[in-house]
Amino acid sequence: MKKFLKTLIPFDIAKGLTITGTHFAKVFLSANRRKVPFHVVSEYPEVPAKMQPRFRGRLQMLKDEAGEIKCVCCLACEKICPTQVITIESGKKEGRKTKLPTRYDFEMERCIFCEFCVESCGFDAIILNHQFELAVYNREDMSLSMEGTFQNMFGVSPVAKFSVADEEK
Amino acid sequence: MPTPTLTQSLIIALLQAILVVVFIFVVVPLTLYAERKVLGYLQLRLGATRVAGSLTGLTGFVNRNMWKLGKVPMLSYWRGIVMLVGDVVKMIIKEDILPTKADKFVFFIAPAISFCASVIVFAAISFVPGTLFVLPKFIPIVGGLPVSGAVGDVNVGLLWILGIASVGVYGIVLAGWASNSKYPLLGGLRSGAQIVSYEVPLTLSLLAPVVMSGSLQFSEMSRSMAVGLPYWGIVPQFLGFFIYLTCGFAETNRLPFDMPEAENELVAGFHTEYSGMKFGFFYLAEYINMTVVAALASAFFLGGPWLMPFGLHGVLNPFFTAHLPAFLVPLLCEPHAIFFVVKIIFILFVYIWVRGTIPRYRYDQVMAVAWKYLIPLTLVNLMLAAAVRYLTV
Amino acid sequence: MEQLLIKIGQNLFLVFGLMALGGAATMVLAKNAVHSVIGFLFAMLSMAGCYLTIGAEFMGVAQLLVYAGGIVVLFLFVVMLVELSKSREKGLFQRQTPFALVLVVAGAVAFVGVFWRTIFGSSAAEALTLSPNLMAQGEKLGNAQMLSRGLFAEYLLPFEILSVILLVALVGAVVLAKTERV
Repeated sequence: MKKFLKTLIPFDIAKGLTITGTHFAKVFLSANRRKVPFHVVSEYPEVPAKMQPRFRGRLQMLKDEAGEIKCVCCLACEKICPTQVITIESGKKEGRKTKLPTRYDFEMERCIFCEFCVESCGFDAIILNHQFELAVYNREDMSLSMEGTFQNMFGVSPVAKFSVADEEK
Repeated sequence: MPTPTLTQSLIIALLQAILVVVFIFVVVPLTLYAERKVLGYLQLRLGATRVAGSLTGLTGFVNRNMWKLGKVPMLSYWRGIVMLVGDVVKMIIKEDILPTKADKFVFFIAPAISFCASVIVFAAISFVPGTLFVLPKFIPIVGGLPVSGAVGDVNVGLLWILGIASVGVYGIVLAGWASNSKYPLLGGLRSGAQIVSYEVPLTLSLLAPVVMSGSLQFSEMSRSMAVGLPYWGIVPQFLGFFIYLTCGFAETNRLPFDMPEAENELVAGFHTEYSGMKFGFFYLAEYINMTVVAALASAFFLGGPWLMPFGLHGVLNPFFTAHLPAFLVPLLCEPHAIFFVVKIIFILFVYIWVRGTIPRYRYDQVMAVAWKYLIPLTLVNLMLAAAVRYLTV
Repeated sequence: MEQLLIKIGQNLFLVFGLMALGGAATMVLAKNAVHSVIGFLFAMLSMAGCYLTIGAEFMGVAQLLVYAGGIVVLFLFVVMLVELSKSREKGLFQRQTPFALVLVVAGAVAFVGVFWRTIFGSSAAEALTLSPNLMAQGEKLGNAQMLSRGLFAEYLLPFEILSVILLVALVGAVVLAKTERV
């Protein structure tokens, strides 16, 4: 009997209609007037997209405050990489106790963005940044190294015009 | 007023038909646009705000800076409207593919049946009782003659609407069969079964206004449901209104009853094999049917072309005529086609609102709702209407 | 212009009747079963038009609602799902042909006989004129009201018996179609 009445009197439908109606009214009346808008979409090409903190974008090497490369060539990332896209050659530099990479190559076209390399790194020397616009015109541009004029391991690629918010640039 | 000759009345009927077609082709594309925007708003999105290439041009420049300021550009509310043109152009210039094994004649005639049936229905719908406007004197043959608010306000208008609307199902079933493919056939069969079974509660729920007004003529029913009672038709017919609206959703194959084109089961249902303008005819027919259902609902349950809601006619009209300036009185007390159209648009909004809220039913649930709940409810509702009629007349 | 239009208006019945005949001929002659259903639909629509031209709006619209909207749909459902391209089924239908022809001829003779008697027989004048009291009512009330008065006031019992017969047919169909529960 209760089930029958429940089917007969559509309270749940009314509830759903109320919710969506409220959404409609709020977005319709306040789309331009509030600092924090009700609508959840971002205006992507005009405004840089805000990614979630755990978003896995392109691999990037970090430097410390003195401008030194944090990487110490332990090869943990090279070993753990499932698709073997990282190639490291180690070298030495005067006045630095640890080793220094002379080559750090990253073949982005085979990368699966699993973040194993970042997790295995004991020195927080690499991250996956928030850049998701990775398209390039030449295949060679997909292989990154430490030097390189178009894009290299240290900065955000210039193709990422919109994806990365200002504080990360 | 002179009685028009046959030629004159034929010309006037032609004029009315043209007006109806203009009305359809204004309302239907706007509904398409509104569907995008309203669905977006319902889901906390903005809907269509731009077409491709928004970074170029002056409006693009203005918009970009407004976006950067964190404002939604005012223009962008309207910029999605370009998509309307895009839709129409796409439909017209898209390649018209004829499947090799399809039955050519039936494949060709199915969208035509669907479209014609939905347009002919408008013949009996009266936008305003009596005269819509009087033609100016300087028009050669028909100058000075009144144009009535309906193409043909016959005294079996409601039956005409229901009969022609029931012919529309052939378009869908034949399209499913003629495509010679499994998914369209299943979609067509489903839709045929659904429409045929929902016709029963739809007709029964429309019988209640017939009982209460004692007529089958559209304008007479509309008049007595709006001002014949001391209140709108929706007050005694609350149940009937919602049953009618539910059946209307099912009859026009809209969500939550869009069985024929259940995307995740049947690709696109009966029009899977259709493309180009043939598909466009199905698309248009769906929206015209929506408009028809909305017109019936607004005429019989929401007071038709009269403005004052909920029986305020009886209370307020003497007051208005006594105290208001003379030019306001006809606007507030007399029927106007514009109020009718506004109510139609409101029901169309409800269509989109429901679409954005309720998920699709399962097929057996759809049938169960029709046969196990709606038909008994309509019978109860009919008795209610008969009681109201008995008490008031 | 005016005269021509009036002439056309007077002969609309003929136009719709010829269209109905054309639809019926399509139904009989079409090779494809679905095409003949479309012909049937066309004939039904034209017959509704015939009713409308002689001023019987209710009959016309009821024709539209019941035959075009209801019965032909069921025909279509059956015909769509039966594929007649297989030779075995074709043979079945061809074996019926002589019997069908005999029956059609018998039916046509009976029909023409009745028709002849009605139009040219002794009682023709009485059958072809509407009784005056009904005519007066019809002009005053309109089509649907008059029909309902006839059905629900004067001939209520036959009407109810007819509906019981339909109900019996419905129950019989349900019994026949019901499968045995295991």
